[in-house]
Amino acid sequence: MKNKVMSGEGNIFSFPLRRYSSQVGFLAFLAMTIFCGLCSFADEAPWAGVRCGADGRASLSWNGASEINEWHYVYRSGRRYKSGLAVWTSPALAVVEGRPMAFIGGYDQTMHAMDLLDKKILWRKLTNAEIQSSAAVAKVGGLDTVFWGSCDRSVYAVLAYSGRQLWTRELVPPSNSLGDVNVSSPFVHGDRLYISCFAYDRSLTRNQQKGMLFCLALESGEILWKHEVTNGALSSPLVFTLDKAYLAVAAKRGLLSCFDISGAKPVLAWTFQMPHEVLGSPVFADLDAKGILYLGSKYGNLIAIDAKSGKEVWQRMAGNWIDNSVCVGQLDCRKVVFAGSHDYCVYAFDATSGEQLWKRPLGGEVFSAPAFFEMDGHPYLAAAALDNHLYILDAQDGAIVSSYFTGNPIWDKLAKGETLWGSPSLLSAGRESCVVYGSFNDVVYTLPLKKDCSLTAMARSPSALWWSLGIVFFVFGGIILPLTILLPLKQSHKDIA
Amino acid sequence: MLEYLDFIENKLAGLFGNIKLVEKGLLGLEGSYVELLTVLALGLLAVMPVLVPEKKRQSWRHLNQLFGIVIFIFVVFTCLGVFGMVRNFYRGLNEIGRENIIALYYCSVPATVLVTSMLFGPAFCGWICPTGALQEFMAMSTRRWTNAWRKAGHPFSWWMSLGMLAVALVFLVWMWRLSVTRMFFIEDASIYWSEVLIMLLFVLTFRMKDWDARLRRLRVLSFIIIVIGAVLSIRITSPVHFGFSKVYDPASFLSTVMVALGALLIPNVWCRYLCPWRCAISWAAKNSVRSIESERSKCTHCGRCAEVCNVAAVEDGTINRDECHFCMKCVDSCPSKVFTIKDDWGRKCKKED
Repeated sequence: MKNKVMSGEGNIFSFPLRRYSSQVGFLAFLAMTIFCGLCSFADEAPWAGVRCGADGRASLSWNGASEINEWHYVYRSGRRYKSGLAVWTSPALAVVEGRPMAFIGGYDQTMHAMDLLDKKILWRKLTNAEIQSSAAVAKVGGLDTVFWGSCDRSVYAVLAYSGRQLWTRELVPPSNSLGDVNVSSPFVHGDRLYISCFAYDRSLTRNQQKGMLFCLALESGEILWKHEVTNGALSSPLVFTLDKAYLAVAAKRGLLSCFDISGAKPVLAWTFQMPHEVLGSPVFADLDAKGILYLGSKYGNLIAIDAKSGKEVWQRMAGNWIDNSVCVGQLDCRKVVFAGSHDYCVYAFDATSGEQLWKRPLGGEVFSAPAFFEMDGHPYLAAAALDNHLYILDAQDGAIVSSYFTGNPIWDKLAKGETLWGSPSLLSAGRESCVVYGSFNDVVYTLPLKKDCSLTAMARSPSALWWSLGIVFFVFGGIILPLTILLPLKQSHKDIA
Repeated sequence: MLEYLDFIENKLAGLFGNIKLVEKGLLGLEGSYVELLTVLALGLLAVMPVLVPEKKRQSWRHLNQLFGIVIFIFVVFTCLGVFGMVRNFYRGLNEIGRENIIALYYCSVPATVLVTSMLFGPAFCGWICPTGALQEFMAMSTRRWTNAWRKAGHPFSWWMSLGMLAVALVFLVWMWRLSVTRMFFIEDASIYWSEVLIMLLFVLTFRMKDWDARLRRLRVLSFIIIVIGAVLSIRITSPVHFGFSKVYDPASFLSTVMVALGALLIPNVWCRYLCPWRCAISWAAKNSVRSIESERSKCTHCGRCAEVCNVAAVEDGTINRDECHFCMKCVDSCPSKVFTIKDDWGRKCKKED
């Protein structure tokens, strides 16, 4: 009996393992590879582009139970900045090796990898020019990798945890007459990385401005194709899939172009001319019947465009100036577009019909792209305004839940509309939810949303305001005024009295 | 062909690359690091009292005030109202030795104002200051009644009380509206100055004659609070701040309206009782080269000088230099020519002799 069992006869172990061990091993390896491939495909790009994904919601879910504390990160404080420059870009978030991390660059020319749990910098990567756009995070060979573009005309690919450089790729060849090169945020789709750049060569002999679109291989950085879109600055590209893969990119002068990128070369599918200049990037929402692109223009036109045909679906006015991208979130089974405007308001529109659901005035021009996130099953919105505060709103009705004072700009004079300052990104993790925001006061803030925070605005409610007015009334009327009246006058005052 | 052009370009670039000491001409001025234009414009406006003819001097002054408003709105970067000027001065002083260009950037406006005050007297207040100009223009419309009230010795009057109540009502309704439409923060503290202004109006309605001089000492307290705020990096906005900055600031706007309405009842009420910058200017102008001298023996006590003075700095031929705005109304209106403007450029030389 014992021998029978050992030899495996008559039960499930009767399969002659030893004889077919190599084949079984190969099949197991194949299965593992396919499984890993599927897994990596499922979360291939945790932060695919400028505002996380195609819907621009800029939030990331995390199920970790560890505590995230408030962190004010400053690096090389007191540097000289030009006014109107992106001090910090919008942070890209990712969970790397089980730890929530933020990747943020800025005018200090450096990409910073922030470990939000331990409040420490895992690595810094200095480039040769300022970083004006956000990073993207995607997996390469199963390893989380950060991609970003720098004004030194190059794209960088660096391992997210160790900071080891995978590759760099120069997009524009050097020239002694080349001016600033603006490189957009990359967008990762499948095994490709898409990025745009604007180069201005001031040479008399070859005076030219080019807005170029690049497609790079994710693993090697090899330029697969490049395409000149326009002779002006370009937004960050956005890739979405309908029947095929498409790429949308907006020229600053207002021309939204859509390319079919399923082939070896991009093929122009359609163009749409916005009524005015465009300062943000398009976002995409996959509605039941069709895909829609949303883009806001200078002077406040928010336009929904059919992603397949390039025809206008609806158009609404959202204040007087949309400075940044919009975002798409889900409220009660319907998709909603959120936009911040320079009329100090955040707007919510039904994504399908364009019906205005609510609008909420904040303390200043809403310059940031809104970030949509859910905390304990309830939808919220985060947006930054030029009154130097970061607001958390209830996405259902726009009610202000909390606000944080995020510092004065490093220059007193703000150059509205001349730059896109950083927008907040959200880590949605229940009680440990936090917002990561690189403010224009030279500090990157990680602020817990459900715990005490030192930056919570001091007068948060109308009642607090009236209380403070009452306190001033009693202090001035009860102490200062009597003292001022009772203290004796100097001779010079007596002369005139 | 392009290769040859590149070659020539590179040669030329190499030839002329390092002739200059700095990379670009006026590098420090790029991006308004140094407010050279502001310094020039404010300097020119401050010299105007010296240059304009005595005839129609007050018309020239009003023109200068209008230019001052335009200059502050469209040219000046670092003022941001009287509170901002104190704050920026402190910030600029902190930068000396670290970032001297930034120090100059922040100190340029206050330093220009103080230096011109040392030279030409407190003419900034009377000839340039946009807040003062706003109040003065507002007060023109009620001058008939405010003068009558002053001549009567500031007795209790129903129209003053009603006016004060109207201003208070505007403040409360506006505050209520703002409180339900926006969030207020610590830097919106200019609303507290508005509240104090309304309380002062209330007090002055009843006891202006007795307490006017005493209450003017509140300016020192205002100055101390703003300096402490600057040291603690609290960015308190001031009236008219919103006009100088692109940032929308309802608290500052509300304060400006309160100051303007208050000036309808008591001319230059902000300058008299609450302006913190006035302390610094009166200190700087205490021994200014240019001053107004009075010859009291000539005074006929007609009261004309007190009638025209917006800040009650002159009475029967006596000028209180702590209060004088150097508007020269008294000089121009005195029938006995009691007041003369003295340019004592040689004073120091004489002392040395």
